Amino acid sequence: MNIARATSFAVAALLLSGSASLHAAKHTPAPKDDATKAPAADPLASARAAAAGDALLDALLTELDRSKSQLKMDQVAAPYYIEYRVNDVDEYQAEAAFGAQRESQRIRYRILRVVVRIGDYKQDSYYNQGMGESTILPLDDDPIALRHQIWLATDEAYKAAGEALTEKQAALKQFSADASPVDDFAKAPVVAAVEPTVTLQVDTAAWKSTLEDVTNLYRQYPDIQSVSASARFAAVNEYLVNSEGTVTRSGKNTYNITFNSAAQAADGMRLTRNPFWMVGKQEELPSRDALLADARKTLDTLVALRQAPIVEEEYRGPVLFAPDAANDVVASLVGSNVLGRKPQLGKPNRTVGAFATSFKTRVLPNFLTVVDDPTLRAFQGKSLVGTYDVDDDGVKAQPVTLVDNGTLISYLIGRQPIRDFPNSNGHGRAGAGTYPAPNLGVLLIKSKEAQAPDELRKRVLQMIADQGKPYGYRVETLGPGNTPRLLYRMYPDGHEQLVRGAVFSELDVRALRSDLIAVGNDPQVSNRPGGIATSVISPSLLFDELEVKRADTSKDKLPDYPAPPLEKK
Amino acid sequence: MKMIRFSPALSKLPSSILDHLRAVACCVIALQLSFVPIVSAAPAENSTSGKTSPPASGDLILKVMQGELSRASASLTKSDPAPYFISYTVNDQDIAVIVGSYGSLLTDAALQRRQADVVMRVGSPALDNTHGQSRPTGMTSGSLPLSDNPDAISRVLWELTDREYKRAAPAFLNVKTNTAVRAEEEDKSPDFSKEAPQIHAGAALKPQSFDKHAWEGEIRRLSGAFRKYPGVYYASVVLQVQNSNARLVSSEGTAIASPSASTRLIMEAETRADDGMELIRVETFQAPSAAGLPSEAELAAKIDKIAADLKDLRKAPVAEPYDGPALLSGRAAAVFFHEVLGHRLEGHRQRDEDEGQTFTKKIDQEVLPKFLSVADDPTIPELAGVKLAGHYDYDNEGSPAQRVEVIQNGVLKNFLMSRMPIKNFGVSNGHGRNQPGLMPTGRQGNLIVTSSQTVPEAQLRQKLIDEVKRQGKPYGLYFDDIQGGFTLTTRQLPQAFQVLPVVVYRIYADGRPDELVRGVDIVGTPLAALTRIMTTGDQQHVFNGVCGAESGSVPVAAVAPAMLFSEMEVQKRGHAHERPPILPPPGFENTLTTAQGSTAKTEVKP
Repeated sequence: MNIARATSFAVAALLLSGSASLHAAKHTPAPKDDATKAPAADPLASARAAAAGDALLDALLTELDRSKSQLKMDQVAAPYYIEYRVNDVDEYQAEAAFGAQRESQRIRYRILRVVVRIGDYKQDSYYNQGMGESTILPLDDDPIALRHQIWLATDEAYKAAGEALTEKQAALKQFSADASPVDDFAKAPVVAAVEPTVTLQVDTAAWKSTLEDVTNLYRQYPDIQSVSASARFAAVNEYLVNSEGTVTRSGKNTYNITFNSAAQAADGMRLTRNPFWMVGKQEELPSRDALLADARKTLDTLVALRQAPIVEEEYRGPVLFAPDAANDVVASLVGSNVLGRKPQLGKPNRTVGAFATSFKTRVLPNFLTVVDDPTLRAFQGKSLVGTYDVDDDGVKAQPVTLVDNGTLISYLIGRQPIRDFPNSNGHGRAGAGTYPAPNLGVLLIKSKEAQAPDELRKRVLQMIADQGKPYGYRVETLGPGNTPRLLYRMYPDGHEQLVRGAVFSELDVRALRSDLIAVGNDPQVSNRPGGIATSVISPSLLFDELEVKRADTSKDKLPDYPAPPLEKK
Repeated sequence: MKMIRFSPALSKLPSSILDHLRAVACCVIALQLSFVPIVSAAPAENSTSGKTSPPASGDLILKVMQGELSRASASLTKSDPAPYFISYTVNDQDIAVIVGSYGSLLTDAALQRRQADVVMRVGSPALDNTHGQSRPTGMTSGSLPLSDNPDAISRVLWELTDREYKRAAPAFLNVKTNTAVRAEEEDKSPDFSKEAPQIHAGAALKPQSFDKHAWEGEIRRLSGAFRKYPGVYYASVVLQVQNSNARLVSSEGTAIASPSASTRLIMEAETRADDGMELIRVETFQAPSAAGLPSEAELAAKIDKIAADLKDLRKAPVAEPYDGPALLSGRAAAVFFHEVLGHRLEGHRQRDEDEGQTFTKKIDQEVLPKFLSVADDPTIPELAGVKLAGHYDYDNEGSPAQRVEVIQNGVLKNFLMSRMPIKNFGVSNGHGRNQPGLMPTGRQGNLIVTSSQTVPEAQLRQKLIDEVKRQGKPYGLYFDDIQGGFTLTTRQLPQAFQVLPVVVYRIYADGRPDELVRGVDIVGTPLAALTRIMTTGDQQHVFNGVCGAESGSVPVAAVAPAMLFSEMEVQKRGHAHERPPILPPPGFENTLTTAQGSTAKTEVKP
């Protein structure tokens, strides 16, 4: 156990979780030294002009110019590529439980990630420690203080790149040479796009009382063990400059509210419901009353789940996924398998994941087409958090058709090429301070044969009648690992029965390819939180045969003594 | 990925050694800001320590804790196996952290939190769930509502208590089985000592006046002073202001509220010699409130001194391995005693069979020269005009702090005891300490070394030269300042310690001027090192720091006079070989061609 390491993480944790009330954007005029005087012929003159007055962007460009022209150590080649990416994050985090706030913080930090590449596009130092350095940057717009941190991180990244290139070349000697090697880094067009920045405005008093009111519902639900809610709102301004000439600045707001509730059935089975709301515009957040209504509904379903019968008998037959559940299935079974991630050094695969060897083969029924289109800003009036103009590699976003009528025709690609995909398609994405990798932007499932949800229900009932089954299944919401949270039995007479304790045992890419028989015309947006915000838009999905069986979970003990009595309020 | 460079002093400990350390076996003391909660931070002077004063009847949180505790005790007594002891500790912390670097703020954060530690012991004091390796099952922690909402606080305490019972009960059954099938342990002491309940309400503190805006300005200015020095690559000035209130209630009837406040200011600067050796200077200041810190002018002078020291160190030759006479400054000697002796006197180490137990069977034997005595005294708030970081009124188990004479005239007499008894030492002496979330163990507070064989401090240098001549050595070593150290106390690894000196001089026997050297590490085995102390200075010096061990980071002080050793072994410090930065720092582009030239005589303003 490395105590020093642990301590510095503790330091980092607090520093990043402390709340910042500083609002000291001193707009120091950009110093007009040689570096900022771009030659008139510079095609990026307009971007640089837009950068004027932005001390951070100015400091990045100044150090970039200096490093590009001067950074060179004996015995080590000069860099062929330098990139700076800064995430300027302003974040509000609050949490309440049982009607009382437990946390409320405003955090402001700037993270710089520096990549210095030695070698050339064919083979370079992007390997292990050569994959970049991260550091925090000053919050004040002070040119010297900013440049000092940038200077140090660049120096470290360059030295690390020198070591990494040697290590990589040594590692490559273990493998026989690839007949048609894939380049290490893709060339990309220069992008100049300096967009306006975003800010974060939060009425902290109002959100405190909303979170407290929503979690105070526990008083009305004696059977619910635990109720908490959290809010996480952020404004992130991202800056990217590289030695090829790309200069970008873009801002994004995200607003996330999560409601957590947990209960135990009388037999000890743990039941949880954790609905969340994720939007890109504050005005799209649910109102206090809407949140209260949704929270009540959630708690009602949790109470109903406690009473619901356990799935005892194995079932094989039709299962209808409502859009909310379908979104999780699409994200995990399609979304995570279309990422063109370069395999480990020496591995011959094209990429990793379940679709690694599926290029140009059928991966979905032929009535489905899958597109990832980060340029889509809104869908059915809802803002999409997965949208962006320029990706985290500095490449312009573009729509990519991944699956065309069932056949996999492309992957999502960043600037790290994979076999047959030498160029980025604008999907290199990264969280603050971390290295970019292909990821979703806005993933859409499209079909020419979409049907009304009612038609899908009728079809399930017809199928169970044909198969002589007493009931079919409809799943509304999934939990982690695609386990059903709200699973209903659909009876021929139209009534539904909530059940608990079930899992799908064969919900995999094979089921998606062979057992998916129809989709609804009811596409729904799922904005997904996480280090990288993505959106998935999927309609209802109907599988003709899936196995539903009893979950193999242990039943925990009930509380050993009752919860404290409530004071009158 | 290296995210943040705030703790070079700690992160630069030789990683080859640290990688092999087990957390339970290691202590790191450092002149280092620790952001971990400081529960027993020095209480302000106006806190009362009368044991009879009842807890403030107006303390709502304490009342809620007591109410929920008695409900839990009454309910769980009926269960099988039943807990025989439950305690709740609630730590309220209000922390502000401002970090500046080169004239700008890197972090400006404020944090409020209320953490609860629920401790439960199932079984009996003779054998319970916390026995041996099962110790962590004694505690479950979580965060409580910040507002004084009795229903919500009781509810979360109930959740944590129920969760803790579900850990502790099966753990006790395991302990019982393991004890039955294993060979008898050498130390058959019970798992928990019997102590009288304590009732105490520390007086509420006067609210600290902390002008955040003014301090933001001062931190910017102070950290901006480093801009003058192109040779200083990393520099930070950190201010941490903390107000705390630790409340403890137990099923034995203890009820304690201990409000406290502390402020620390840490300046840290780092450079790299041309051979890649990283050189660090750190200065720490501590006071109950920000107003008690030195003036901005004094602090600015310290920054100039730090920068000057680093400049000298960069040019200093690398120390050679050496075995001969050495003089340790009071602060260096204090760290030396904390590491080499203090950790080996912590009570729980005497019964853990993985421990080396250097001193376990040495009670009433001579372990130090007769002229030295050592006490650990957390009851002293201040010594020689310096506030002591290891001061507290009650330890984290609710036992009153006590002065413990561990070594009298060279003879070992006692250990630093928590409520974990050891053979022949059945009760706590008020040294059970922990950081919130971890089980307490015997820890140091203010370790104070006194000497009856002293010479005026000014004469120690001559004494060193005399000894160097007597041994026929060319030079002796003088350890002026020290960054921290660590020690290994387990059986599997060599019983060794290492102290990390920063400023060390060669003192030549032939009258040549003193020579600063860099890259020295003191090494050796504890018992041998301690017997080589020849004489001491006549003044006591304080080293305040944060000590990390298995029960977490706690603030400590070590106090000692300067000491002359007849023999001290030093080794070359292993270090990275990364060159200094290639390009000159921003602001010096036109005055320096490369940073190697940064030792240029003129300091240029950016």
